Amino acid sequence: MAKALKINKNTEEGLLQFLEFLLENGKVEGIFTLKKLNETGAVTYSLITNTEELKKAVPLSPFMPVNAGKVLSYFTLAEKTERPVAAVLHPCELRAFIELVKRVQGSMDNILLISTTCGGVFPMAFMNNGNAAEQLSPYKESVKKAEIFENTRETCQGCENFIPHLADITVLMVGKKDTDKECVICLNSAKGEKFASEAPGNAVSAEVESAETEKLTSKRKEHKEKLFENYDKNRLGISGLSKIFAACLGCHACGEACPICHCTLCDFDSKTCEYRPESFDSELERKGGLKIPPGTLFYHLGRMSHMAVSCIACGMCSDVCPVDIPVSDVFIKAGDALQDVFQYDPGKDVEEPVPWGVFKEEEFKEVGEK
Amino acid sequence: MNSSDKGKKGETASGKILPVEGDFRKTIKGLLKKLLEKGTLDAVLIPVKAPETDAFAWVLLNDEALLDAADPLPPVMTVQGGRALSNITKHGEVTFNIGALMRPCEIRAAVELYKLKQIRLDNIHLISIDCPGAMPLQEYMKEPEKTAKTYEGIIKKEEKNEALRPVCQVCQRFSLIKETSSSESEQHQPSADLHIGFFGGGGKNICLIPETSKGKELMETLEMSSDDSLKDWETAVENKRKDVLKKRESFDNDWREKIGGLDNFTTALDTCINCHNCMRVCPVCYCQQCYFDSTMLQNTPETYLGRAKEKGALRFPIDPVLFHLGRMSHMALSCVSCGACEDACPMSVPVGQIFSMVGDRTQQSFNYVPGNNRAEALPLQSFMEDEFCEVEIPCECEQTVSGKA
Repeated sequence: MAKALKINKNTEEGLLQFLEFLLENGKVEGIFTLKKLNETGAVTYSLITNTEELKKAVPLSPFMPVNAGKVLSYFTLAEKTERPVAAVLHPCELRAFIELVKRVQGSMDNILLISTTCGGVFPMAFMNNGNAAEQLSPYKESVKKAEIFENTRETCQGCENFIPHLADITVLMVGKKDTDKECVICLNSAKGEKFASEAPGNAVSAEVESAETEKLTSKRKEHKEKLFENYDKNRLGISGLSKIFAACLGCHACGEACPICHCTLCDFDSKTCEYRPESFDSELERKGGLKIPPGTLFYHLGRMSHMAVSCIACGMCSDVCPVDIPVSDVFIKAGDALQDVFQYDPGKDVEEPVPWGVFKEEEFKEVGEK
Repeated sequence: MNSSDKGKKGETASGKILPVEGDFRKTIKGLLKKLLEKGTLDAVLIPVKAPETDAFAWVLLNDEALLDAADPLPPVMTVQGGRALSNITKHGEVTFNIGALMRPCEIRAAVELYKLKQIRLDNIHLISIDCPGAMPLQEYMKEPEKTAKTYEGIIKKEEKNEALRPVCQVCQRFSLIKETSSSESEQHQPSADLHIGFFGGGGKNICLIPETSKGKELMETLEMSSDDSLKDWETAVENKRKDVLKKRESFDNDWREKIGGLDNFTTALDTCINCHNCMRVCPVCYCQQCYFDSTMLQNTPETYLGRAKEKGALRFPIDPVLFHLGRMSHMALSCVSCGACEDACPMSVPVGQIFSMVGDRTQQSFNYVPGNNRAEALPLQSFMEDEFCEVEIPCECEQTVSGKA
């Protein structure tokens, strides 16, 4: 059993009280968390430094307007933060941050990582139609019962990684019947314990994982398997992929939203992927017709080969696609397969090197020359 | 008064009236086929529906069979046509003849890109078409059949409909519209080489209007004269324009009120997630690497914390409003109000409407119509000593200007 803090308030208020404690007592200089933009339920990530602004925070709002792993990377890209800050983020955002740190795109130093057992997030479009508020209470009920909420992102409904393994502090949500009355905050690391010392609340023991979380894991696994049935090998061949990505505009919004795609200038946005008019002429002679801009599918395959091994399955890519291509379904399927081959679990261990950064002479002989 | 105005005010437009055989799209494709067959065009750039899907994409084709799946007027604008054309000709002139069939706003974007040296127009034949507007892309992707059906209804009635994208509903440059602009030179190089009109034809006929020597060459290949009086088409276009200009005025006023001042502007962009997708689909935003995507705005954690402490909180990703203002100041003069930005916004921010209003008003103050005249310089490239002295401090030349006026 791990050490935990129990606050006799509903989970969101309890967490806010804890965050206020961190800020007021100078334990942290700022807190990255979701904050209300207006009364329609729209939220944004914000670095909050005073307790008045903290009142507008909604750390448990089921939205991901941007992958917070990307936000923390942006914050610490130039150098690590000397002053401590806390960040409340969804488990997949935490995994994204870990992957970015491994890729030297940020630093975890002096960042207190707070996460939750995650019931999933709504598609971002919910922020626009103004009915996010009415979805909240059925969402909470479903999380309490450790069920899949059907109005969350497709990716979330098939996500088995909703336990935040590297969080210093975990707020218990999934399968917790009493989230209306109490807030249980598990202190997973020495760092978590240090920051929480003297925080108001009762010291208790609690486990992040439970029979209830196991239950949700198996439901999500089942959902994912069913989803993947739509993407068998036949559908993922070149002609199948051409159909799936037929409407692709080549806008690269998916890559821009992807936390793992961290390059300042993507190769596919560079001159390398611009062609001289002569090449259009010769390609036209060969094929009779060319999609313009060319290479929309090539972009996805290229991006996949660069990042799939670190894909943390957050679903941002599908959510931002203006033409509703199920990008994340394809990328998660490829990512899973690739991660299996390398026995690599992205975002789970900050010490484990990214497979692309490791050379083993004797690796994958079966795909090499005889 | 410049040459284009003289032409307009003087007499009725002339061109060739063609009867429609079955469907106007088929008639247009028949013309393109003929131009390919006779070799005046080596290839056509046109939207094509991808096989077994509902997706439209630009296709550069010389295979006549592919033309059958083409749609000269698809219900949606996918990639902005100007952008598509830039993709082909950015790095030099094409050595073969391409006919590019596009909506008027796409043609205008192509002309702006030509002025910005992102398109070569040698051997390119720009063919524009009367445009009833386009349907919202995201709506089409959700319900393709229903949306396409609604669009057909709009085409047949030839009137504005609230189902169209908001910027299309107030578009005053939906056809071959000739406007006076700031250019004092007599030189007027039309944007399109050939225009295809079908407004006022009642679905029974279309008309072809050659605008340049390239356009005339196409007419010659088709063995067509352009002596028919286009009274019906002209009246239909004029009536529609009158109607739209009224709507445009209240649209501009409404938006001006809605986003006036920094607070209102910020609120209007509230849900922006700073993904910059509006910029990436904008035909006029051609920079390979946007300043706002560069490391120029990158700072240290200490700086971010300092900024946060000034107001108690700092939004991340930082400065979405600065991004929009920066982008606006760079491209508003060339904004063709195509609405591609709004179509591509994952948060449905009304960014197309906002930019269209600001663009319209900025262009008016420079008396500039983007994409109207190939020979006219971009306002930011031409220096006039006596221009906008009212914004100078102290305003020394006011006397001179008012004296002139």
